[in-house]
Amino acid sequence: MMGLERALIELLLHFVTHDALNAFLRSPQHTASLVGCLIAVCGALLGTFLLLRGMSLTSDAISHTVLLGIVLAFMLMTGAGLEGDTASPWLILGAAAAGVGTVVLTEALHRSGLVRQDAALGLAFPLLFAIAVILVSRFVDDVHLDDDAVLVGEIGLAWANTNSHCFANCESLRITPEHPAAQQTRQCANCRELNISPRDERAEFREVCGNCGVYTPAQAWSAGLLDEVPTLVFFPKSITVMLVLTALTVGFVAVFYKELKLTTFDAALAKSLGFRPAALTYALMILVSLVAVGAFDAVGSILVIAFFIIPPAAAYLLTDRLSGMLLLSPIIGGAGAFFGYDLARGWLFGMLPVAEGIAALNAVFGLQLREVWDSSISASVVLTMFVIFVLVWILSPRYGLVVSAVRRANSRRRFDDQVVLAHIHNHQGTPSHAIELRAATLHQHFRWTPQKMNRVLMRLRALGFVSLEAGSAILTQRGDAHVHAFRKQLLVAHNIPDIDPTQP
Amino acid sequence: MPEPGELALAIDDLTVAYDQKPAIWDIDLEVPQGALMAIVGPNGAGKSTLIKAALNLIPRAAGSALFHGKPYEAARHLVGYVPQRGSVDWDFPTSVLDVVTMGLYGKLGWLRRPGRRERAKALAALEQVGLLDYAGRQISQLSGGQQQRTFLARALVQDAQIYFMDEPFAAVDATTEAAIVNILRELNKRGRTVLVVHHDLQTVPEYFDWLTLLNVEVVASGPTCRVFTLDNLQKTYGGRVTSLHGGQVLAAGG
Amino acid sequence: MAERRVWPMIVALLALGVLLLPLSQSLFGLRLTYTVRVVALGGSLLGALSGAVGCFAVLRRESLLGDALSHAALPGVAIGFLLAGRQLGALLVGAGIASWLGLRLVAAILRTTRIKQDAALGIVLVSFFAAGIALLTYIQSLPEASQAGLDSFIFGQAAAIIESDIALLGGVGLAVTLVLALLWKEFKLITFDADFASAGGLRGGLIDALLSTLIVVTIVLGLQLAGVILMVGMLIAPAIAARQWTHSLEQMVVLAAALGAFAGGSGAVISALDSDIPTGPMIIVVAFALVALSITLAPGRGVLWRQLRQRENRRNFRSRRLEPGA
Repeated sequence: MMGLERALIELLLHFVTHDALNAFLRSPQHTASLVGCLIAVCGALLGTFLLLRGMSLTSDAISHTVLLGIVLAFMLMTGAGLEGDTASPWLILGAAAAGVGTVVLTEALHRSGLVRQDAALGLAFPLLFAIAVILVSRFVDDVHLDDDAVLVGEIGLAWANTNSHCFANCESLRITPEHPAAQQTRQCANCRELNISPRDERAEFREVCGNCGVYTPAQAWSAGLLDEVPTLVFFPKSITVMLVLTALTVGFVAVFYKELKLTTFDAALAKSLGFRPAALTYALMILVSLVAVGAFDAVGSILVIAFFIIPPAAAYLLTDRLSGMLLLSPIIGGAGAFFGYDLARGWLFGMLPVAEGIAALNAVFGLQLREVWDSSISASVVLTMFVIFVLVWILSPRYGLVVSAVRRANSRRRFDDQVVLAHIHNHQGTPSHAIELRAATLHQHFRWTPQKMNRVLMRLRALGFVSLEAGSAILTQRGDAHVHAFRKQLLVAHNIPDIDPTQP
Repeated sequence: MPEPGELALAIDDLTVAYDQKPAIWDIDLEVPQGALMAIVGPNGAGKSTLIKAALNLIPRAAGSALFHGKPYEAARHLVGYVPQRGSVDWDFPTSVLDVVTMGLYGKLGWLRRPGRRERAKALAALEQVGLLDYAGRQISQLSGGQQQRTFLARALVQDAQIYFMDEPFAAVDATTEAAIVNILRELNKRGRTVLVVHHDLQTVPEYFDWLTLLNVEVVASGPTCRVFTLDNLQKTYGGRVTSLHGGQVLAAGG
Repeated sequence: MAERRVWPMIVALLALGVLLLPLSQSLFGLRLTYTVRVVALGGSLLGALSGAVGCFAVLRRESLLGDALSHAALPGVAIGFLLAGRQLGALLVGAGIASWLGLRLVAAILRTTRIKQDAALGIVLVSFFAAGIALLTYIQSLPEASQAGLDSFIFGQAAAIIESDIALLGGVGLAVTLVLALLWKEFKLITFDADFASAGGLRGGLIDALLSTLIVVTIVLGLQLAGVILMVGMLIAPAIAARQWTHSLEQMVVLAAALGAFAGGSGAVISALDSDIPTGPMIIVVAFALVALSITLAPGRGVLWRQLRQRENRRNFRSRRLEPGA
């Protein structure tokens, strides 16, 4: 991990100075946005496949188990005397195994035939979460695993948890009593033994070095022991973790793109072609678990599912192509992570101030709410993604509400025309002609209002499809041709019996 | 009681669209009282859609349906419905007798509970379909045919004037098929009108005296002897039916 | 088909539940304080209510909808607080409205887009929850410090239950039972076969809305005790456990209510034994223990039972195969 970070920083130092880099990384906003974007990319890529497989809520189950896995591993490690740290590889492995275990468990529960799929999932989340909560409050006494961290994480503090890397003037310093900087103090050697005060005349003294020991470059410099400033870069651990996970995810999707596509759309075909859909599914679940663990510090175990579900759902309303979804959903998630920080600080998309909204509420309803909005960053990221989703839902040029409404109104109008034309066509020249086609009562046959009937008839007459003769509607030649064309299209479209009609 | 000789069902210009694609198109259908009618057509022809739209279960784009001259809202008590067997969860915790009693809920109205009289009616209907011994059985333990007969019994207790049955013959055993046919004939004898969505052309002339051929539009409708012609069948199925040989329908090329 | 063994089971469960308090007093030295009694009573009332209503949620395949709706209630709690201060009534009304909006939003997404149910539920669940968290964080930054205790709606806080809450739970529970009893056959028919119900003259849409309202009301009442995250467990676990023992809806609902009451009461008592064990999660764990027991042991349906039968079948088969040769 350290080596990786170092290589990365060396690369970056070709382009920026270490001061600029430090300034960037020590800014809570930059680090939070960066970590958020990386989680968003992983979540969006994996979530796209989950969405298309109808397994979106499996990410919910996994994120809950991952919490349990982290708690259990944390307890084991503390018991074994290891220093607990959620970034430790053992925790990640344990939690990921627990995540995959849940999927296996719910599958087994479902396959027993006693509990339906949705109920099996619905049983799994709360149970695992309940056990985790009990364990946390009963056995774990650590700020890292308190209730808030479980729910929303600490993405705002991601900048503070760093590894330091030194690139120049990296003298690690050993201060011995002989060193000029050593601070010698006199200490009473036998005071405790004899239970006397140092002022007592029996007291014997010895020289003790107060600051001896080994100093890392960072420590040595901050203690003022170095003349020359070392070139230090403080690199947040979350960024490294998420970078590795992003590389894994992107690599997985790139390498297995064809297989993932096939197994997602037609698992049976994939199996018959010799692919192993089950193996791929489990690989996908392992990655989901890993990302959930990696993101736990930043966004907690509940909000993380937003990164898996919302961006792919929004992308699904924008494009029909898998490649398009894989491209769009990371962008949507990344935008959510980027603008989320602003929202937490009171600016929606960096433009609309939340405070003014609160002020308006205060003014209208006579409330006395504080007009300073300062809120949870992770929750704001999720909210921003949701706002983007709603915008896409309304405005998508392909499936948006606006476009659909316009399209539906248009095709309904056309459809109404066809209904009337077909009716006239069917009854023209039959004995019931006079009753069925009288313009004044035509609306009764369709159960429409007279107004709607009038509008349709006006339109059809304007188009030259229908004319009125002795109070009855009849088709013109053009109208007749139009009906025939439509019927041909209609019957061709429907006349493909799926099974042999003569076989029961 | 409806008067004899009037139309049991009059469908006028009924159109239903899913996503603005017509599922059934400008259907006019008149069914005389006492008819035992099959509705036949290829898959996707809109057979179930026609029934559901007539019963107001799905929204119509246009058109009306009158049951003995009355719109559906005023004629609910005249109508009996047998949905497709696959439309419900057969693992639902309830007994056969209970399901059959459900046929009486509509007549009972709000708040009233089924009592001894309802139980007797349900048992009688179960006897009619040959499931009396299964009255206390949990419904998940029934075979497909028995499930179908349970649904039929539920419709029978409704004591309706006009019955709509959605694919009652789909994937049932021979016993059940015979039982259903018997019940259809019995209903027919009592002057009830029955519309059955059917998929087996070969049994149409034997089981039904009226026939509607449907492929989005009504291709032909009337007494089976007049409608069940090669020409009409080809119009419905688009040339895949090649000959009528002594009443047997032969298919071309599967 | 009513199975006779279920009624004694219900009686035994209730008896065990009633004996639980004195038993734990003598066996584990539990101090029966006023609080413990109130919490145990509240837990069993809520368990009974959610057990009964949850049967319909499970049978309508809406288990996960319950999860989404309980998460969706959180912003309503926060807004209720912002508008009216810490009054339980306002908080619950806010929760109910938010939860109901969540329900409508899921329906709207499903109706107007091609997004499937699981993703729609996920979107509503996490977005509403995030809105709730954001509002709660904002509330915590407010100067007036009376906001204490809103967090309890996330994980549930049984200790916050007071006598008036019990009265509320009891009153609403009574009303829900009354509605269930009066509209029993309508609810049953709409759950089993909605099409037939509508064709047979029942007002399908109205009954459907009523049933959804019952579920929302139950969820909202349970929030204070179980919290938004765990409430779905209270709703569906007793129902799933009860389903394994009986094939009759009547028995299933009564048994689920009894199992729920047992889980609620005993969970509360166990958590009273150790101050570090939170009540809501403990109730859920007990409820799931009941599910596990039921799935394994239930006669006829349970895993153990089926395995025994399979073994017997195999033995029969083997002996029959040997016969002709002998």
